[in-house]
Parts: sequence; C-alpha cells; structure tokens
Amino acid sequence: MTQAVATGASAIAGRIADVIDPVFALIDGWQHDLVERLSAEPEPRAADLDPAVAATVAAELDRPGTLITGAGFVAAPGYLADAPWHLAWWLSDGNPFRGVPARGIRRLDAVSDPDAESFRDYTTLEWWRVPERTGSRHLTGPYVDYLCTDDYTVTVTTPVTIDDDMIGLVGADMYVARLEQVLLPVLRDADRTLTVVNASGRIVVSTDPHRATGALLRLDGLPEALAPLREAEAEGRVTDAVRLPGGADVVPCGDTSLALVAE
Amino acid sequence: MPHATARADAARAVVFSPLEGAGRAELVEQRLTDAIASGVLRDGERLPSEADLAKFLGVAPVTAREALVALRHKGLVRTRRGRDGGSFVTYDDDVSLRLTEERVRAMSRIELRDLSLHYAAIAGMAAEVAADRASDDDLQSLVEIDARADLASPGGARRAVGRFQLEVAAISQSPRLVHEELRLQAETGVLLWMCLREQEYRDRTREHRLEVIAAIRAADAASARHATTTHIGSAVEWLIDEKVRLEAASAPSLAREEGSTS
Repeated sequence: MTQAVATGASAIAGRIADVIDPVFALIDGWQHDLVERLSAEPEPRAADLDPAVAATVAAELDRPGTLITGAGFVAAPGYLADAPWHLAWWLSDGNPFRGVPARGIRRLDAVSDPDAESFRDYTTLEWWRVPERTGSRHLTGPYVDYLCTDDYTVTVTTPVTIDDDMIGLVGADMYVARLEQVLLPVLRDADRTLTVVNASGRIVVSTDPHRATGALLRLDGLPEALAPLREAEAEGRVTDAVRLPGGADVVPCGDTSLALVAE
Repeated sequence: MPHATARADAARAVVFSPLEGAGRAELVEQRLTDAIASGVLRDGERLPSEADLAKFLGVAPVTAREALVALRHKGLVRTRRGRDGGSFVTYDDDVSLRLTEERVRAMSRIELRDLSLHYAAIAGMAAEVAADRASDDDLQSLVEIDARADLASPGGARRAVGRFQLEVAAISQSPRLVHEELRLQAETGVLLWMCLREQEYRDRTREHRLEVIAAIRAADAASARHATTTHIGSAVEWLIDEKVRLEAASAPSLAREEGSTS
C-alpha cells in the first residue's frame, strides 16, 4: 500500500490527537480525584462537593489559552443526598474566540426540579448515555448545546465509578469555533484536502473552506470506515487507517473518535 | 417610490432606532405573562427580585418594577413583604385560558398570520437543513421524542411539539436557529398551539412528526420543510377560526350596548 501518502496524513492525525489529548488527561485527573474524595464519603452531599468541583475546574477555565469553556461534575440521579438531580457545571465567563477575555467563571443555571416544564432528563442525552453504556470516555459533538453553553460545542465526558457503580461523570466543553482556530494551522501544510470528521462523519474542520462545519461528509464507504471508531474509543485503542473506494484515506486521530479524511 | 429605495431607508431607520424604547415594560410583562400562562413559571413560584429581573432581561429596574405592577393588576403575581417576601406566581387553569383568549382577541389576523410566518421561516429552514445533516443517532432521538409524546392532554402534546421542533433545530447544527426556536416557543408557543385543545389536532402532531422523520431519513430537504410549514399553517388557521368564534361570542353584548346608547 502507498505507505508514503498515509504517513503524511498519519502525522497530521497524530498532531490532531495531541491537541485534544490534554483535555482527556485533564478530566481523567478530575475523575481520579473525585473517586478518591467520594469513596471515603458515607453520605455525599452537593453542598460539600460543589465548592471542591468549582475550585478544581476554575483553575483550568481561568488558564490563558485553555481549550475548554465549561467543565464540571454531573451526579447520577439519586446519588447525592441533598440533590436528586444535580449538575455542578461551571462556564468560563469570557469567550476568548470572540475577543472577550475570561473574567472568572459562572455556574450553569440548570433546572434540577423534575416537575418543571423546562426540566431535561440529562441521562437521555448522548454525553451521559454513551459513557453510561460503555463505561468509558466519550466525545459528543459537534452539537448545539442548548442546555449549557448555548453554542456549537464538543463535549468530552468520562464516568466516575465507585465499586462498579457509576455515581456520575466529569467532563469539559470546547467551542467548535475555538477548535477550528486551533486545528486549522495543524492541517495547513498538506497538499491534499484534509477534513476532520467525528465518528458520524460530521465535519469539524476542513482545509476546503466550502465544506461547512456541521455538515456530513458524504463519501462512498465513509460510514463503514468510521464505524469501528466508536468501539475503539470505548476500549481506548487506535484502529487502522482505511482507504476508501474513491481513493481517500481515513486515518483515526488516536483514540479521540475523530478521524482525518485525506482526499 | 421605488421599493428598493424605500427598503434601504427602512433598514437604516432600524439601525438607528432606540434600543431602550417605550414599550419595554409591556414586553417584559408579555414575556412573563406567557411564561405563567404556559406553566413554565408555576403557581407559587418566586420570581427573581426587581433588580435581578432587570439584570436578566437587560432592562432598567424601573421597567422591571412597572411590569411587575402590571402583572399584579392582572392577578398573575402576588407580592409578600418581609424577610421571606417577594413576588410569587399565582396561576390556575381558568386564568390561563382567559389570558390566552384575551391575547387571541387582542391580536389582529394579520399579526397572527405574521407570527406564524416568522415561526415557519425558522422551523421550516431548520427542517430543511436538518434533512441534510441528520446522522442515524439524530434520527433515533427524533423517533424517541415522538414515542414519548403524551397526546392525551393539550400540555403534553404542546411539550412534545416543542421538544421535537427544538431537536430538529439542534440537528440543523445552527446555534442561531436553535436560539430563535427557543425564543419563539417561549413567546408564541401557547398561542400558536392552542389548537391542541382538540384531540384531532393532537393526533395530527404525530402525523406531522412521522412525515418529518421520513423526510429527514430520505434526506429530502424540500419535504421536511413543507411538512413543517404546512403544520404550522394549519395551527394558525385554527387560531384565526378561534378568534372569529371568540369575537362572535362577545358580539351580542356589544350590540346591546350600542343599542342602549343610541
């Protein structure tokens, strides 16, 4: 097979994974700290937990140059004694992409009363449902996050598990506009058209300016080539590059569940 | 005057029209009234303080106060003094019905149709784009929203319509369309979907959802848009018929009054 062609794309796919990996490492760290803290807690309460979560995520949300715009802990229904449905989620108050500097963080004002008309059962949403099913980290999006950031977002979530029980999850949001800003320079030094897609084939960013972010990349054989990415994500393994019938190479970006399509 | 010239002047006039204008208190009042009538704000719920309300809505505190006074006069809000004081929502079904009917009567047919056109523009475009951008997972969530729809009550049917339309907007991948969808739902949802009082129209919402799901599955953008705008169109035609009924019901007393004064 044309090893040389794939090598260029592989290197770029690797660099894309390098951009996202620190966010994974970050929430893995939070997950670890939370397990340690909550394992020792006979009756965990939101009132005690929230300040600790806030302090943890604030450090990253306030860091200049951070990729993330929101982060926190979401409890499994009924886990916390004083809050049956609970989102401890904080958003960065600025929007670096739009030139608004961060001015500290604000708490996501979530509806936690299940009888309220605007209440949404978050366990039905992809960022909860998938990690619950697989027991591992999941990248949701790009999607319009009308519950939280109110913007076009990628969310990474990982379950927090104590004694085989998923007691909640930790996660972080990234604006897709910010990702585009960071990923475009990574894609630039190639002579093929490069497009980053998620496991559904949805375009995250492309060197072809007329490929709209959010649209589906429709290439023969692409859905089949992307299908193994989700399983691989759950198992933390990297699948092989695939050549499509039309000649495009589909190269997984590490175990992020994103793939680089080189045409 | 050539239309193009007139249009440019109108566009300029909008640019330089006052942001803080008269009628802001009425807008605040209308928004809270809608929220109470639709049950988004519930009976007994405490409203934010005047200062917070002003901050959230981006109006002057005096404007927020004016709106709260008007709500009190309408009997939609009760104010308690003291440490646990504040403004509390008072709501019951009769009040909700009366408010919605008053609003239907107060709006002209032109306004009602215009409102539905605005909403159809947003929802129709969202459906069109969603047909091109929906993944298999997206289709699955639309199917699930439809399966969970409660068609037994007007409120349940309206919530299902709202969730479905919101999900379609989200599938279009456009934050602006999602934002407009949410805003228009809050502003006009109760009014526009008044037809869901009738079981026939509640059943029709399901037919519409199945049509849209089929169109999106087939990546048929034109059919997705058409099914959506037709559905909204039928809701506004019902609403205008209802307006005629309400006006006819109040007409005899009007005729008597006129007769007595002559």
